[in-house]
Amino acid sequence: MQKITAEEIHQLAGYIRSISGISLNQSKAYLFETRLGPLLAREGLSSYGELYRKAKSGSDKRLENHIIDAISTNETLFFRDRGPFDLLQHKILPDLLSRRNANASKILSTPLRIWSAACSTGQEVYSIAIVLKELLGDLKNYKLKLLGTDISDAAIAQASRGCYSKFEIERGLPREKLVKYFTPQSCGWKVKDALRAMATFRRLNLMLPFAALGKFDIIFCRNVAIYFDPNDRKKLFERLADVLVPDGCLIIGSTESLTGVCNRFTPKRHLNSVYYQLKTPPAVPGQSKLTGNRPHRKSLPAIAK
Amino acid sequence: MTRLRILAVDDDPVTLALFSKRLKAPEYLLDTETDGNLAIERMKQRCYDVIITDLIMPGSIDGIAVLHAAKTIQPFAEVLLLTAHASVESAVEAMRQGAFDYLQKPINFDELFHLLDRISDLKRLHQDSVELRQAMDTTERRASETIGRLEIEISRMSDILEKIKSCLLHDDTSAEEKVAQMTVLLNACKDPPA
Repeated sequence: MQKITAEEIHQLAGYIRSISGISLNQSKAYLFETRLGPLLAREGLSSYGELYRKAKSGSDKRLENHIIDAISTNETLFFRDRGPFDLLQHKILPDLLSRRNANASKILSTPLRIWSAACSTGQEVYSIAIVLKELLGDLKNYKLKLLGTDISDAAIAQASRGCYSKFEIERGLPREKLVKYFTPQSCGWKVKDALRAMATFRRLNLMLPFAALGKFDIIFCRNVAIYFDPNDRKKLFERLADVLVPDGCLIIGSTESLTGVCNRFTPKRHLNSVYYQLKTPPAVPGQSKLTGNRPHRKSLPAIAK
Repeated sequence: MTRLRILAVDDDPVTLALFSKRLKAPEYLLDTETDGNLAIERMKQRCYDVIITDLIMPGSIDGIAVLHAAKTIQPFAEVLLLTAHASVESAVEAMRQGAFDYLQKPINFDELFHLLDRISDLKRLHQDSVELRQAMDTTERRASETIGRLEIEISRMSDILEKIKSCLLHDDTSAEEKVAQMTVLLNACKDPPA
């Protein structure tokens, strides 16, 4: 494997951050070498510097995609970390549906929109689809929109095909679900049409505006912001807050935290998992204490329990 | 040493006898069946790493049916098909439906041993990755429990701080009343909810 120089890391890290938000530094030399080394060989390039110059020149748009495909981490599996899916099945979906059901006409007119914001090769999306099927049974009675996006073309292509090798499938997927929702094929296992039809996939760079996607009831954004630098991370969660409906839920990676990152969310705990909801906006916007418009109240707000 | 548990299915007892003779080495544990139905019954009772089945067998259960049953009952077992009539189409079809590989009769045992070695290597790698994954999951679970607890606790503290701030900025409250209210709030800091 060709060695990468400090200068080349500096150049490529800057370039990769500009196209994907992924923040890498000198400590990740092995990552550049193991992920981009094969690309050098495939493209017949003599050095990482040459790769940088060629990609940066924009003369070959494919190269940008190849770099993203190689550098983005596609570590994922079905039901990765059971917590969020148990949360979805036993808390978030029942709560949302009962709130929506309070206005029965609304459920028919307003679809429930779920977004897997960095879906990688699709396992998270199909895991969500399985939860929906298991919880709701006949989906004809519901309007559901399940969107999976990822920055990597290659990951989205695999997600869209819904084909997984034996190794990808074995990890995390119980046997009865495997047999129920997948068919064996030469590729390994392929998602059955009914499950595949529930999801839409598209390429999306989370660093670029995504408000056009509309509003979502549930957003999964797990283990992606960890690759961004703190500033980009803050911006990302601010923008996620913008596209979440007022009573919607955000699920982040189980070892991630929004403390000091975004104060528009409030954490909620159910069983052993944490999810986030938007803080209720103040009753009279603009009358914050800092502006001097202090509310004149005799009693103090109750202490949160 | 990981032993490969193998089920060989063939209506021809001579072929099965040959398997028994050649797969005697301690790294293999072999069961044999002469009938597809019996093979399926056996799969329900015992776990196999490899299922070797003849493609063409009399009765309702042929090699493809054994392959399908194996994929349902034991999705992680590898299936090797034996075919007497070296038809590329049937072999390709079997591969398409999830078979690991196929062998032509008469069986070239060197070729079979090579395939079994490959399966064995795959199983070992897989086992390693499962164990690493389990170790990682344990670490991740512990970390996430701590982070989740802190996340909730910090949010609770921030709420209390907000209330203390609003208490301090409250013009109409006397100094004594503020002290009393803040004492209540500060006491709440000490008692995290269960």
